Amino acid sequence: MEDLLSNPYVHSLIATVLIILLFPLVAGYIVLAERKVLADLQVRLGPMRVGPYGFLQPLADAFKLLLKEDIIPAAADKWIFWGAPVLSTFTALTAFAVLPLSDKFYVADVNIGILFILAMSSVGALGLILGGWSSNSKYSLLGSLRSAAQMVSYEVPLGFAVITALMVAETLSMQGIIQTQLDKGVWIAFSNYGLMLVPTVLFLIAGVAETNRAPFDLPEAESEIVAGFHTEYSGFRFALYFLAEYASIFVICSIAVTVFFGGWLRPFPSVEVLKDPLDVWFPILLFVAIGAGCAIGVKRLLLPEQKAVIGVVALGMFLIAGLFAIPAVNELIIGFFWFLFKVLAIVYTFIWYRGTFPRFRYDQLMDVGWKYLIPISMGALIVNGAVLLATS
Amino acid sequence: MKEFLKTVFLVDLLKGLWVTFRNQKPSLVYTEQYPEHRPSVAERYRGAPRLNVHPETDETLCIACNLCALACPETLIVVGAERNKETRRKELTTFTYDTSRCMFCGLCEDACPVDALELTQDFELASYTREGAIWDRQMLEEGPLPTQYRF
Repeated sequence: MEDLLSNPYVHSLIATVLIILLFPLVAGYIVLAERKVLADLQVRLGPMRVGPYGFLQPLADAFKLLLKEDIIPAAADKWIFWGAPVLSTFTALTAFAVLPLSDKFYVADVNIGILFILAMSSVGALGLILGGWSSNSKYSLLGSLRSAAQMVSYEVPLGFAVITALMVAETLSMQGIIQTQLDKGVWIAFSNYGLMLVPTVLFLIAGVAETNRAPFDLPEAESEIVAGFHTEYSGFRFALYFLAEYASIFVICSIAVTVFFGGWLRPFPSVEVLKDPLDVWFPILLFVAIGAGCAIGVKRLLLPEQKAVIGVVALGMFLIAGLFAIPAVNELIIGFFWFLFKVLAIVYTFIWYRGTFPRFRYDQLMDVGWKYLIPISMGALIVNGAVLLATS
Repeated sequence: MKEFLKTVFLVDLLKGLWVTFRNQKPSLVYTEQYPEHRPSVAERYRGAPRLNVHPETDETLCIACNLCALACPETLIVVGAERNKETRRKELTTFTYDTSRCMFCGLCEDACPVDALELTQDFELASYTREGAIWDRQMLEEGPLPTQYRF
């Protein structure tokens, strides 16, 4: 047993299985959060019917998608049609292999980590293109053409922004990048006399475009081309595309967090005074507040079943808050907490963008990409490099 | 120069983000959870008709004067009456009201001299058949019975 646990492959295997099992659920709840936050921004309620305040909506959606009839268009290229969503999901989930989810929990720490993620997300674009092509429908084809063009244009500023950060970090390994930020005592976003803020902002903009989200969601602009590349997809295959989309959002946000915002480090990682307030009291207060919110919500519900569901959630939140109070457990999960907290904060801003900005016209999209983002990111690269050289 | 700095620091975009952010208050939400929470309609809303009865004796207030039927622009009210031999008074026998043709103008309730016919604030008039939209005297006297859903 000891031998088995010390084997490095076992650790990776457990992490892999956990991620593959849990991520669909996490993605489902990110979708629910997106619908609720978007509803909030648009002065609506969002899903309210399945479970208390729509809490069980992801499960209902999953069941609906799994039970739907499997439709393949008669003129579609069946094998590619079948394989394209698999390819998308596969590459999106493969990128999770090198994500530094915490200092203790990750699948692998590869010395080319970030390169691997960028390579995988580029291959993921192939899934969209093949899906659009094999559907044999003009809307799908237009959608996939757009997504191909968009990904090609926005991967360049994205890459430049990451390269700028890598110059500061001096390593490609995801854990190594975080370790550098710990050693320097500052997140890369604020390092280099604040000059790194430019690539950070560029990354956040290009990241939105890279994941095909509003205001850059032209590949699936419903007012022009129905649903873009997945117009002809339904049921389980559509669910796979959906999963891939949210997985890639999670991955892009994770890269942003790792490379620019200190990964699993707490804010101000080098200030020892803030260790207790940030690592112990902040998560406890946060989860107690969420739990208390749920407990108050119980009163406003009518049905006993709904009260039970929310009550269980509230209890779970108090339990998690309790876990953070135990020093040994806190040690284990605090990195994971900060990583997820930052990733979800960035996911929230992505949703916020979607609720705020109208969609770009296609030529505007290309303008922003080629005329502004790429020159600015190149300039930021050169300036940051020069400053690094001068100060080293 | 000011314009240029505004563009560089994406001020307009940040302003837009602030607008959406500060508008996410639950008190601003317009959505009504309909069967769970019934909307409150205007005080003078004209909805489902009702034929009022005397609150104590349960006798109809209607004197079968037929004024409502005459007032109705759609002629959808049919009043059936019979002369009572002993009291020499007209007494109401049947009363039909075709809600499928009704435009809720309220002329019938205005015409009613004894406040027997009234358009209530109830708005749930759907039925499974066309015949279901034609209300007879019993339905009109019971008044609207909104379905209570259990959630």
